[in-house]
Amino acid sequence: MTDLQDFMQGCSRAASESMANNQAILSIEDLSVSFETAMGRVMAADGVCLKLHERETVALVGETGCGKSVVVSSIVQLLPGNASVRGRAIYEGRDLLSLGEKEMAGIRGSEIAMIFQNPSLALNPIIKAAEQIAEPVIIHWRLPKSQALDKAGEMLRRLGLGNRAIPGMFPFQLSGGMNQRVMIAAAMILSPKIIIADEPSKGLDANSADEVMGEIARLRDSAGASLLLITHDLGLARKISDRMAVMYCGQIIETGRCEDIFNQPLHPYTKALLNCLPQRGFQPIPGSSPSMIEPPEGCRFYPRCPERQDECCMKAGLQMVRILGPEGEVLREVRCRLY
Amino acid sequence: MTDFCERLNEWKGNRLMPMIISKSGWLGLAFFSSFLLMAALSPVLAPYDPWYRFEPYLPPDELHLLGTNDLGQDILSELIFGSRASVIVGFGAALMSTAIGTAAGLVSGYFRGMADEIIMGITDIFLMIPQIPLIIVLAAFLRPSLWLVALLMGCLWWTSTARVVRSKALQIRETGYVQANRSLGFSSLHIMLSDVLPNITHVVMPKFLLSIASAMIAEASISFLGLGDPTMKSWGMMINFAFSRGGFLNGLWWWYMAPGLCITLFVLSVVLLGSMLEERESVSLRLQ
Amino acid sequence: MRAEGIDKTYVSGLVFRKRHQVLRNVSLKIEEGRTLGLMGPSGCGKTTLGMILAGLLNPSAGRILYHEKDIRNLKGEELRAYRRGVQMVFQDPEGSLNPRKSIERSIHEVLRLLKTPEKEWRSRTLEALEGVGLSEELLCRYPSQISGGQGQRVALSRVLLLNPRVLILDEPTSALDISVQAQILGLLKDLQRERGLSYLLISHQPEVVRFMSHETAIL
Repeated sequence: MTDLQDFMQGCSRAASESMANNQAILSIEDLSVSFETAMGRVMAADGVCLKLHERETVALVGETGCGKSVVVSSIVQLLPGNASVRGRAIYEGRDLLSLGEKEMAGIRGSEIAMIFQNPSLALNPIIKAAEQIAEPVIIHWRLPKSQALDKAGEMLRRLGLGNRAIPGMFPFQLSGGMNQRVMIAAAMILSPKIIIADEPSKGLDANSADEVMGEIARLRDSAGASLLLITHDLGLARKISDRMAVMYCGQIIETGRCEDIFNQPLHPYTKALLNCLPQRGFQPIPGSSPSMIEPPEGCRFYPRCPERQDECCMKAGLQMVRILGPEGEVLREVRCRLY
Repeated sequence: MTDFCERLNEWKGNRLMPMIISKSGWLGLAFFSSFLLMAALSPVLAPYDPWYRFEPYLPPDELHLLGTNDLGQDILSELIFGSRASVIVGFGAALMSTAIGTAAGLVSGYFRGMADEIIMGITDIFLMIPQIPLIIVLAAFLRPSLWLVALLMGCLWWTSTARVVRSKALQIRETGYVQANRSLGFSSLHIMLSDVLPNITHVVMPKFLLSIASAMIAEASISFLGLGDPTMKSWGMMINFAFSRGGFLNGLWWWYMAPGLCITLFVLSVVLLGSMLEERESVSLRLQ
Repeated sequence: MRAEGIDKTYVSGLVFRKRHQVLRNVSLKIEEGRTLGLMGPSGCGKTTLGMILAGLLNPSAGRILYHEKDIRNLKGEELRAYRRGVQMVFQDPEGSLNPRKSIERSIHEVLRLLKTPEKEWRSRTLEALEGVGLSEELLCRYPSQISGGQGQRVALSRVLLLNPRVLILDEPTSALDISVQAQILGLLKDLQRERGLSYLLISHQPEVVRFMSHETAIL
């Protein structure tokens, strides 16, 4: 645990430096994703704006179904065919959403890597572990297979799976935690600049989850990469990230530094979400999430908000309110009429 | 009863399975239904009584669209009535084998343990029996009617369906909803029929259709060998007579081509339907 | 409800039998109206123990006592009371509902099992849904169209129709995110208060067990 805290502090320093330079390595601007389904048009993401700086870790938190996975899948163009995407995702001066499949394929894996949920399903069950890790190396760096396999073995050793038998095993022979590490190895073997981890600790028990997150943090630092972490687990987000963005029903409703949000949540939804934590007594939020096909007009949290006022349900689009610090940098953003 | 009505209402308003039928599916459906109609409405469709004798070896003309055979019987009428043999044996055998196979597979996969061992043992025994030779031998000795042939095939072919159904049943048995229903206290029979069976129909249907195809070909083969039912017209027998009574040598191609084409098309239509059903099922699974 | 000296050994293979002992001499007691939390690392047999208590698996040794009577000796009316009185709620909310049956049908089939007259079905269904905080618009939907939390509630409502006394909850919230988790736990607590239910809560999350249980056992 102290390792994690050290890493976190190290990163915070680096992160605030790069934030001061305003060097956003990935800048998502006004991203909207909608799906045509048999039940109508689902607005999975609506006007999402997010900046990820160098060497920074940003956690994207929210309930299941609020659109977090959709946002990151759209950045790397891994959405199903019936999705329509608007907006821009600027990476190194290029808009990722406008690139063709060939260019995207070159970026995926080598510069932007994704770690998926549910590793036992994400790995190919009939290919050995080491070969799956070696695959990105063979494709992107064009190394011969034996060298790639050596690199894969080394990666597994660094992740704590040094047992010689493991590289030759198949995913179904390994446990969930081990499979997750195999996937992390495959994602990080090319030292990508951006790592996107989609609920990496889902389905793992507390010990495995801690270990896995520790691995990710360690590798992130040794590679100097930025991490975009998607999770619904607030405690996890707090342990490992610098900044946090809270999503609700397809919109980002609050961003800011983790500690700030935990100590002083601004948006009523964030406050309610923090109350759901075990430490605060599992107090549930009344009502249920709104439908994404017909979201409420105006503020989407209005029906469940304990601090709502009449003007909150008005249709005029709520803008993000920016709270600036002494040097003009953006400290917090909130989408709420109270501010 | 109300359960059935509920299910019907659900099926009407069910938006999980869109009614996509591909082009090959339409073709298959068209051929299949026309052959079924042919079999059902033979007396109406056939221009003449197939047993009535005209002048033999006539080439096709306006009176006899496909000419006559060596006995003077109108070939077109024979053709139309011949579809009945294929349909009876095809459907009869397929229905029986699917019914027995599904029941055996369900019981075996759901209950496991002793029942499973016994049923799988029986399956192994049946698999050892060479099927077509047995049918040929029995047909040679007993000269049975078409219905008996269908019965025989049904009794021999259930094994592969049983195996497939068993493996699916084993899988479904472990799912949460079967466990939950067991916990709630539903009887095993109810769970098998209401929970397991609907989830295996997508496996059973293609096998059913393919058994129809196999049964039809087997029937045609038996009839071609001269071991079929002499009291009924059959496409296989037509080809048999065409070859043995001088049709081939004299170049009377309409005599053997027509039934041959019919067998081919009927089997093809069944196969197309089967693959269309499989496609629909995989599409609906993906949509879910 | 009590368990005394439960052993469970899995035997595989016909000739060279491999023994795999999952539970060894386990005893516990579930008091009326209170919650017993059961914790332990994954794979140590918590779910197996739960299933044995619910009567879905037979122990290799030991006995289960329901209202101080050995369940193997129960017959007829008493056996039915035990089977209905002890119910299990499974972990995966999507898995506990048949994907081909609409929610309405899934609830109706339980009512049919209970031999409720058909004219009461609608009212009983709505009552059941209200009891777990769901609205009637869910009735025509299929399990794939509802969220995990809603699925878990539907499964709960089906179980509650049988009026059980003891609920064995196998990791009820581990597949749900934190806001839904809070809702389900709150619901379970309310139900315990209203109906005087006893719970055996199986979980690997210490905070959940601490929040819900009166006593804890570790396997």
